Amino acid sequence: MYASAVQDLIDELGRLPGVGPKSAQRIAFHLLKLPTEDALRLARAISEMKARISFCRRCFNVAEGEACQICLDDRRDASVVCVVEEPRDIVAVEKTQEYRGRYHVLQGAISPIEGIGPEQLRVRELLARVQAEGITEIILCTNPNIEGEATAMYLARLLAPAGLKVTRIASGLPVGGDLEYADELTLGRALQGRRDVES
Amino acid sequence: MRLIRLWVGNYRNYESAELEPAPEGLTVIEGANGDGKTNLLEAVAYLATLSSFRGAPVDALVRHGVERAVVRAEVEREGRSVLLEVEIHAGGRHRMMVNRQPVRRARDLLGALRVSVFSPDDLSMVKGGPGERRQYLDEVLVALRPANEALRADVERILRQRNALLKQAQARLAERKRGSDQLSPDVASTLDVWDAKLSDAGEMLADAREDLVMALEPQVTKAYGQLATGKGDVTLAYQRSWRGPLSDALATARDEDLRRAVTTAGPHRDELSLAITGGGREVPVPLPARTHASQGEQRSLALALRLGAHVLITESTGSSPVLLLDDVFSELDAARSSALLASLPLGQALLTTAGSAPAGFSPARTVSVRAGRVEAGRAS
Ligand SMILES: [Zn+2]
Repeated sequence: MYASAVQDLIDELGRLPGVGPKSAQRIAFHLLKLPTEDALRLARAISEMKARISFCRRCFNVAEGEACQICLDDRRDASVVCVVEEPRDIVAVEKTQEYRGRYHVLQGAISPIEGIGPEQLRVRELLARVQAEGITEIILCTNPNIEGEATAMYLARLLAPAGLKVTRIASGLPVGGDLEYADELTLGRALQGRRDVES
Repeated sequence: MRLIRLWVGNYRNYESAELEPAPEGLTVIEGANGDGKTNLLEAVAYLATLSSFRGAPVDALVRHGVERAVVRAEVEREGRSVLLEVEIHAGGRHRMMVNRQPVRRARDLLGALRVSVFSPDDLSMVKGGPGERRQYLDEVLVALRPANEALRADVERILRQRNALLKQAQARLAERKRGSDQLSPDVASTLDVWDAKLSDAGEMLADAREDLVMALEPQVTKAYGQLATGKGDVTLAYQRSWRGPLSDALATARDEDLRRAVTTAGPHRDELSLAITGGGREVPVPLPARTHASQGEQRSLALALRLGAHVLITESTGSSPVLLLDDVFSELDAARSSALLASLPLGQALLTTAGSAPAGFSPARTVSVRAGRVEAGRAS
């Protein structure tokens, strides 16, 4: 329909989360009208990000280099680990300023419908950290929806034999919601009011 | 709760139309089949539920050849007037407004207007499969307490997840053929988690339905008595598809579930059993309504289920949903039609009919619909 370079861009944009075919078309034509320098700045930002940023080898947060900013900070309490689904959830927890420990990013939640089981998540890596890093408390900070709750229960059962303290963030978060949309105050309170998980 | 005025634009066969029902009592919407009487009731119900009670897909609601339909209503609620509006796009998108302010989530609109719908399809509650009766119970649960919608949706989601896992586990066991028939520990412990989630949410939903059935039974019996005078009693019973704790039942059923890749115990397999007893019959034992009751008795029972729920919702929420009666006379004989009108609870009701109303029947207002036009209402 369009010159193939434009169609390629529309197809690529359409693969992004939350971008439908109509929006992809609109963005593509917006970029077409943009001065070359502006459009290239976006292209450079994407390639720089891909070249410089990867995942932290310890916690799977986004990192420049081998370790993320949080793992590099020795003021953080290494004995407490907060387990989240995605790096963006770390941003949400950090905003509360209620938490001084480290993190572990699972890179998803258990969801058989999407073909995601424990083996597709960073679960083995979490178990390895428990021994190696002398962790004494794990806070399960997965989303308060069905999949997040199931993942928390799975991890609580898996970690029970290790004999450490495992807690779940308290409710008060909107059920069925996403951590990243919870406001700081609510999430802060949920962190303070964490409880032992039923397992 | 009262519907003061309804506007529809590009909705089904209406280009633009307005309906002003009587503030109290019965408004009759008369017209030939296909002229669009039911479309007006459907539009009212759409504002209350964001779905068509005829099960129509969204694009069927938008008038042929245009992009979007608008349904707007002025509603009186707890003495205050509220303006509700939904823009329905043929592609399936909605734009909702309350008092001209856009609202993002469906739950901000839902509950502003509540309706009880009676339609000829209700007969499927009595004649159809158990799924129809579970859906009836769940709709009443949500009308009584909107939070029940989250519980119902949770159970559905957990079941989808558990069934997806069963299918994957079954495929893996099949791959191993002559190997052991043991599940890998990962799959077994993930299944344990879904079992725990299902037994928590499933017990809660079954408990809620069971309590509801106990509260409904006297109301339905009373309504049935009014509709089919002297023809016996109705009994309602909630039957779980398992015995004892659901967690035990799921553990027992695991092998079977793995073999069939479906969940065989849980609230999605439960049944609301209906029976008509006594009434001068030779056999005093309750007979299942589905198989033994006459056509007339089955219609009375379907209406009684709706009326009973309506009364229960009115009593427990303190406000009466707007009654929408779609073409009910076509399904009933003259005696039952008169009995229905006599037993209508107080409040506002809208009724469509193609034929003549039963003798001695005087609605508060009558409105005529002719080929997508609403003609001025007249008081009778
Ligand atoms: Zn890190």
